[in-house]
Amino acid sequence: MFVKLAVKSLLNRKGSALLTLLAMSVSIFVLLGVEHIRTQSKDSFANTVSGVDLIVGARTSSLNLLLYSVFRVGSPSNNISWQSFQAIAANPKVAWAIPISLGDSHKGYRVLGTTADYFQHFSYGKQHKLRFAQGQAFEQVFDVVLGAEVAHQLGYHLGDKLVLAHGIATTSFALHDDKPFQVVGILAPTVTPVDQTVHVSLAGIEAIHKNWQQGGATPSPSSITAGMVGLKSRMATFAVQREINNYRQEPLLAILPGVALSELWQMMGLLENTLRLISVLVLVAALLGLSAMLLASIREREREIQLLRVIGAPPWFLFLLIELEAVLISSLSIVCGATLLYLSLISLGDVLTLQFGLHVSANIFSIHSVYLLLLVILATLIAAAIPSLQAYRNRFNN
Amino acid sequence: MAIDLRDVCFAYPGAPETSILNIKQWTVAGNEHIFVHGASGSGKSTLLNLLSGILSSSGGEVAVLGQRLDKMNAYQRDRFRANHIGYVFQQFNLIPYLGAVDNIQIASQFSKQKKSARLSADIENLLSRLNISRADWHKPSAKLSIGQQQRVAIARALINQPELLIADEPTSALDQPNSDNFMSLLMSLAKEHDITLLFVSHDMSLSRYFDRVDALSEINQSEASSPCL
Repeated sequence: MFVKLAVKSLLNRKGSALLTLLAMSVSIFVLLGVEHIRTQSKDSFANTVSGVDLIVGARTSSLNLLLYSVFRVGSPSNNISWQSFQAIAANPKVAWAIPISLGDSHKGYRVLGTTADYFQHFSYGKQHKLRFAQGQAFEQVFDVVLGAEVAHQLGYHLGDKLVLAHGIATTSFALHDDKPFQVVGILAPTVTPVDQTVHVSLAGIEAIHKNWQQGGATPSPSSITAGMVGLKSRMATFAVQREINNYRQEPLLAILPGVALSELWQMMGLLENTLRLISVLVLVAALLGLSAMLLASIREREREIQLLRVIGAPPWFLFLLIELEAVLISSLSIVCGATLLYLSLISLGDVLTLQFGLHVSANIFSIHSVYLLLLVILATLIAAAIPSLQAYRNRFNN
Repeated sequence: MAIDLRDVCFAYPGAPETSILNIKQWTVAGNEHIFVHGASGSGKSTLLNLLSGILSSSGGEVAVLGQRLDKMNAYQRDRFRANHIGYVFQQFNLIPYLGAVDNIQIASQFSKQKKSARLSADIENLLSRLNISRADWHKPSAKLSIGQQQRVAIARALINQPELLIADEPTSALDQPNSDNFMSLLMSLAKEHDITLLFVSHDMSLSRYFDRVDALSEINQSEASSPCL
């Protein structure tokens, strides 16, 4: 009966209750969305690369190098010569070196030119190696290995032929359609940018650009975008980094992925906190609106409150009644806001992935978000205490 | 004694110098149906609020149904009111967005009386007895006519089987036929349920339904600007 009274009373004030509900829903949407994307992006960034000791590229900011080499975000400022890369790979302290060549795309997905070593040495998350769901690494010039998402989204299977384009736009005029590639392997999902990458051999990349017909000699690349380096001993990291940075023949930059990542956090931290602050302020505004709506309703319902008192309702009943109305609105807002966020993530997830390299799962419920929502309910109770107290001490209660 | 007031004085806490009510002694016997005549501003609402325990007296003894309200705390008085007193106002007796049945159920919520399956049977009996057609039982009460609303208010007041029923100008919003209809239903139900009825009105023509008629001006000896002692 208590709940029924609260529900019917809200339904009786549909207009203001609905507007308050909308304001609350939007604020919950913003709050949950910011928190979700924040934690997800942090996880997905931190899990993108592991086991790589140094990343080598042309001289630029370490953040820029990290972003384009690992996250495929932004454009490389310059290439490094194949000779320089060979020199680094020949360093006795270096265990392995993987070349990376970027700049082409297939239907909006980045094409990565590399060697078969990539599949052996590159790891992500907590030292997970890349794994083939089907097929194996490329051997021929026109072999291609697809990331899990590329294969899934574009519906490719082993043996399918595809055409690679120069440039990175979804629709590029420079289609290299005289040289179709054949799918020889599909990687298992990693939840990193690898899933959205089309892998070909360096020779394949050269072949696209040099109008080179299949059957001839394998051309060797003149330059690559960047390289990933694994060392024999971690102890040598700084020494090798210094050697590369002081390389005479060409200006090079070597970065430690972990250090660059933490630089990225520092930069993102400010943005994160700003976003959080804004989402909290939006919530506070919505809660104040809720409180104001209820306070106005108390005035409007003075006689109703008086009547309830006369038929024996103690003052705390009235206090709880108003609190319950507030909690009903905010719970319903949580459901609406969360549903809205879920639907947006499902429909916009691909855009986030393609445009920002962010892989955001649609599962928005974690322990963290449950705590956050409990805090919202608590904040609702506090904000509604003002109108509730007003109902508690209306002039009829002496 | 259903009501026994001795040396009761009331002044609002904000203005202790001005007593609103000052009653040496006033009693109402059990099962008595009494008409109290009073113009507005004569301390009528204050008296009724004291008797129902919404207000507490500044001094004196307020005994209702043998219990001393002046010795109870606010919570006990709320419970007492829910359990023993029925109340019908001039208007706004019902929560406008709830139907008749829900309004009556809410009243039973606060009393310790039966919460069993008998409750809905009792509600149905009362509503039928008060000529509220079944089609109107679940309509929001704001959609009922004033006459219907006042009759539902009687049902609401009687659901907890109160020993005392207080009616505060219940017919002044009704036209003559509705008023007559209301009065005859109220009087016969009060008899059937052995209830003490305290009826307050400025309309002397209604006094014909009652065996005892008091004037509030004689009960209340408060004079302008006399403080409570």
